[in-house]
Amino acid sequence: MNPHANMIIMSSLILGPMITITSSHWVMAWVGLEINMLAIIPLTGQTTTTHEQFEASIKYFLTQAAASSLLLFSIINNVWNTGQFDITQPTNTLSSTMMTAALTMKLGLAPFHYWLPETLQGTTTMMTLILTTWQKLAPLTLLMMINQSLNTSLLVTLSLLSMMIGGWGGLNQTQLRKIMAFSSIAHLGWMTMILTLSTKLTLLTFYTYITLTTTMLLTIKLLETNKMSTAMTSWTKSPMLNATMMLNLMSLAGLPPLTGFMPKWLILQELTKNHMTIIAATSAILSLLSLFFYIRIAYYSTITLPPNMTNYSQQWRHKNQQKPYLPLMIITSSMLTPIMPTFMMIL
Amino acid sequence: MALSFKLMENVFLSSKCHRQNALHPFCGPLLTNCISKLYSSYRRPGTSPDNTPLWKMNFSFENGVDWIKKNFGLLKKELVDHVKGPEGRGFEEYFLEQTRVVWEFRSQKDLDEWVVSSDAEIGGKSEAYLKLGKNNQTALLFGTLSTEAPRDGETGYSGYCAIRAKLLKGAFDTKKYYDWSNFNSLYLRVRGDGRPWMINIYTDPYYSHQKDDLYTYFMFTRGGPYWQEITIPFSKFFLSSWGRIQDDQYPLWLDKISSVGFTLGDKADGPFQLEIDFIGLLNDRAHTEEFAYEKYERNPKA
Repeated sequence: MNPHANMIIMSSLILGPMITITSSHWVMAWVGLEINMLAIIPLTGQTTTTHEQFEASIKYFLTQAAASSLLLFSIINNVWNTGQFDITQPTNTLSSTMMTAALTMKLGLAPFHYWLPETLQGTTTMMTLILTTWQKLAPLTLLMMINQSLNTSLLVTLSLLSMMIGGWGGLNQTQLRKIMAFSSIAHLGWMTMILTLSTKLTLLTFYTYITLTTTMLLTIKLLETNKMSTAMTSWTKSPMLNATMMLNLMSLAGLPPLTGFMPKWLILQELTKNHMTIIAATSAILSLLSLFFYIRIAYYSTITLPPNMTNYSQQWRHKNQQKPYLPLMIITSSMLTPIMPTFMMIL
Repeated sequence: MALSFKLMENVFLSSKCHRQNALHPFCGPLLTNCISKLYSSYRRPGTSPDNTPLWKMNFSFENGVDWIKKNFGLLKKELVDHVKGPEGRGFEEYFLEQTRVVWEFRSQKDLDEWVVSSDAEIGGKSEAYLKLGKNNQTALLFGTLSTEAPRDGETGYSGYCAIRAKLLKGAFDTKKYYDWSNFNSLYLRVRGDGRPWMINIYTDPYYSHQKDDLYTYFMFTRGGPYWQEITIPFSKFFLSSWGRIQDDQYPLWLDKISSVGFTLGDKADGPFQLEIDFIGLLNDRAHTEEFAYEKYERNPKA
């Protein structure tokens, strides 16, 4: 891409969520979302050497544009009813419900999740990383800012639905990016579950999710694997990275004592404190679905040795890319649970 | 209800929509022996338009009940298959397979999965027929090709015969796709008559402006009594749209295959015959080519 265009696009991509996060005026927040969306569209379809990228960028644009227009409509409705644009002031029921729908559509929460697996499957791995991490920042921040006006029952329903669909949909996927998409849907379910009860926990879950997902997608990129069948032979490229990928997957699944267990534990504790024991139990059971497909990837790629041809076992001869920050990310995604009290104090 | 159908028809005709109307999936099964205008506005050149009023259609509740039973059965099967594994088969089976037979012709039911077409639909004189071969072990596509163009004042060229597999439909007529991402070659066992055929793979795109996109490659038959086993890597298929080869070439998207077809259009008048034993897939580990055609950049870096 033209370096000048690249500079403008990257700066807009960073600026958009920053405007949204730092604004207290609804229109400015919406403008930030729009800047972010318009900046990511050319990046999503920047290399039109594959049909899928072109299709994915259009799918992403249509969904985000629809969500933005619904959000703008809800903002106008709120202004009409309350007479003010301040985000921190309470909103009326209809506006907050529409805002919830618009922001969940932007995030990719169920039942507005259909675009996410297809879009992530069509783009490159780096774009998948940006779409699953950076792009969630602004809508989630807005949800946190208006959490007092949100309907807890609605959010809990959407969360449980997301966890169920994220787990069920990822069950028999063979493409790794689609698996990460369903993983994203399930994790967003956990984040929104606790939104009205404790925004700090939502933030902690979000940071943990970003760390885990970034580590996983960078690993996938370094191993140059997009499908389960190529992940099976990735041990020949880098055995150490293959082993740490297993740890990362277990962390994503929420197995103790890895990092991913920490937010789930705290969320279940918070739900139990608020007498939502049945919901906590249901969430824990629904996370088993996601656990199944994470363990399956780990089983086929790391634990067992699948049948392969001679040419696959020679892949270590080709020089792989190296990312110097990846070891730190792997440690962060595996070993943060013991220092959980520190995080609680910080947040 | 008749008024609502009339309104729908008017909306459809004014919008020239080629997709199913929202109400049609619900009312469609109840309608028997009705020519649905809601599917397509295609009219063969030279024929008069069909002005049958919608309120003259026959309703059948029995058909509707059968349709509901069939689709809920399909939905249940899809949910169970989703738990079993990719495409309803076990995970290990999915990963370990290196060959798969997708279509074989052993009974009339296998033939019913294919649609035969020729330029007779546009007024041409070609004929094409599909029947089971000897001992019900093969499919025999035969007929006569004629390049004589129909005299309707609209059509300039003629002379094609084709068969195409019907699109896969899931519960409630949802689109389903073949996932061939585990394979890299198409494997056919055919016995032709020396004519060159075109193999077309249709990957149903998400957006309607790409609905005429087709991936094509050639199959040269030898003729003679011996069977021919043809392997065509998917990397060789090139993209064409509405019959024209595109400048921008993209590799075939293997996890969204809708249909496969064979077309004869070699501009040679006369009889033709193609016998097909089976159509299958192969994962040729020795074939490492990703795409055979150059994907040029419009603004290459200096």
